[in-house]
Amino acid sequence: MNAIKAVVNREDAMRAMNDVNRRMKQRRRREAIGGYLLVAPPTILIVGLFFLPALQSFIRTITAGEAGAGGISFARYSGFFQSSIARSNLLFTFNITLTSIVILFAICFPIALYLRFSKSRIANWVLSIAMLPLFVPGIMSSYALIRFLRPRGMLMTMLNIFGLASFYATPYLKPLGIVIGLVWEGIPFTLLVLTAGLSQIGDAVIESARDVGASNWQVFLHILLPLIRRAALIAFCLNFIGNFGAYTIPYLLGPAAPQTMGVYMQQTLQGYQQPLDAETQAVITFAICLMIGLFYIRAIARSQQGREDIHG
Amino acid sequence: MGSQTAARTLPQRQARQRSWVRREGFGLVALVLLVIGIIGPISTVLLWSFAEQWRYPALFPTRWGVSYWAETLSRADIRQALPTSFIATLLVTLLSALICFPASYAFARLRFRGRQVLLLSYLITNALPRFGLYVSIAVVFFRLNLIGTLAGVVLIQLLNTLLLMIWIPTSAFQGVDRALEEAALDVGASPLRVFVQITLPQVYPALAAALLLTLVGTFYETYGALLIGVPRVLTIPVIMFPLINNQPVPQYGAILSLILFAPSTLLLVFANRLLRGGYLTAGLGV
Repeated sequence: MNAIKAVVNREDAMRAMNDVNRRMKQRRRREAIGGYLLVAPPTILIVGLFFLPALQSFIRTITAGEAGAGGISFARYSGFFQSSIARSNLLFTFNITLTSIVILFAICFPIALYLRFSKSRIANWVLSIAMLPLFVPGIMSSYALIRFLRPRGMLMTMLNIFGLASFYATPYLKPLGIVIGLVWEGIPFTLLVLTAGLSQIGDAVIESARDVGASNWQVFLHILLPLIRRAALIAFCLNFIGNFGAYTIPYLLGPAAPQTMGVYMQQTLQGYQQPLDAETQAVITFAICLMIGLFYIRAIARSQQGREDIHG
Repeated sequence: MGSQTAARTLPQRQARQRSWVRREGFGLVALVLLVIGIIGPISTVLLWSFAEQWRYPALFPTRWGVSYWAETLSRADIRQALPTSFIATLLVTLLSALICFPASYAFARLRFRGRQVLLLSYLITNALPRFGLYVSIAVVFFRLNLIGTLAGVVLIQLLNTLLLMIWIPTSAFQGVDRALEEAALDVGASPLRVFVQITLPQVYPALAAALLLTLVGTFYETYGALLIGVPRVLTIPVIMFPLINNQPVPQYGAILSLILFAPSTLLLVFANRLLRGGYLTAGLGV
């Protein structure tokens, strides 16, 4: 009797378990369908306006050669690299991008360190003013810098007060003008990322290092630097991508030649009406930035994974 | 205990004072340089917009006045561009909120395959130079006859907003306290009521931050409007290019700059909260 009851009970339990399982599966499927429906509109947009055009650009540049239909040819790309103008523009863009990032880090690293350790009113002011460019429209900052840097502009006027105006050589319409503009616009974001990285390092860690006799320099080299590597990497990548493809500042503050890739592309597209050449330039710019961009995405994907683990 | 601290404090306090002086000395130097380098250019624009005449060695305008404001605002191109800019900005922000907020809820809360990859794919828009991308899109739009139309400009600016409008709310939805929601469900609240009264208030600041950033960012978005809108749909930033580049009257550019800057003052009011909430860095995936 008892044995039979046990069997029946077990069957009941099994049935109930199966039921629960089935319901769970159903719920999960419903959740997934709901998820796909909700993310569909922005996904369609990003596929249609981002991935497809980028892919099509690439395909067009390798198929629409002079040879005619069907064949794949990299003639446009070899043409790009054979053109001395294109080569010098590419090199120029690299130089401008890297120079501006070096200067940006040289400015922002010390300030971020200072902001990490100081809670004074001066520190508050430093942060507020350094963040200002973030709220200034790109085209306005170009205009502001033109009026500031040009001959007989504000900077020269201020130098004139100290009798130094004759030493002033304007960077406006010179490569240095672009670098200054890119640094000016890049300060808030770089500082934001670096201070965010530094604030993740607790006071306790630094205090305990000091207690065992570490100097400031050792604290910086062995504790702070390794721990903000990720933040610095993100700042580097986003600055590189932003500066490499920049348009407004190089166009308005830079020389007529050589040009950065952004200006070069716009000229080729709208000035010379050569969409295929412009696309070739765009694909080359993409390829370079994508290499840098992958580092950025990998860094973010890791931190995102960490967040998932915390929130379940 | 007391004697121990007393014995340690004198040299320690001196050392601490020295490092404080050194640190704040650096801060002061940095502050002065930042004021010259950042406030300097901005204030130059401000001064030019209220100048009738400004001859070189003078530190301030030689004659003040607002007559250029009337002249600038009555220019035909500017009178056309102002409403275009406003309409495009509002449309883009509204559409973006409509498609992005539900999606970010799904990204944060629902489980489905490919979620992580889809979420990361928005970051790739940040990993490619804007301008090059718009060149590619312009070629497509050219064939669809979207060049020079409002729809074309709205579409391209919409693309521009996706990253911020998805990543900021997603990280906010991820941070919502699930225990609170479950407790409310347990005592018999309907799911809708839980969402409106428990979930929404927790993510509201992040949603507002994303909206605000999108609104302002779209108002002064330049590249897309320049490549897609020209020559028929002109927004304020686009008509600024010729006014900056070959214009003997600096006041036009200065006044337009200030008009363009006006929505930013909204951001500045909330700047502290935006920065402290970490919304900006969340929007970049940091």
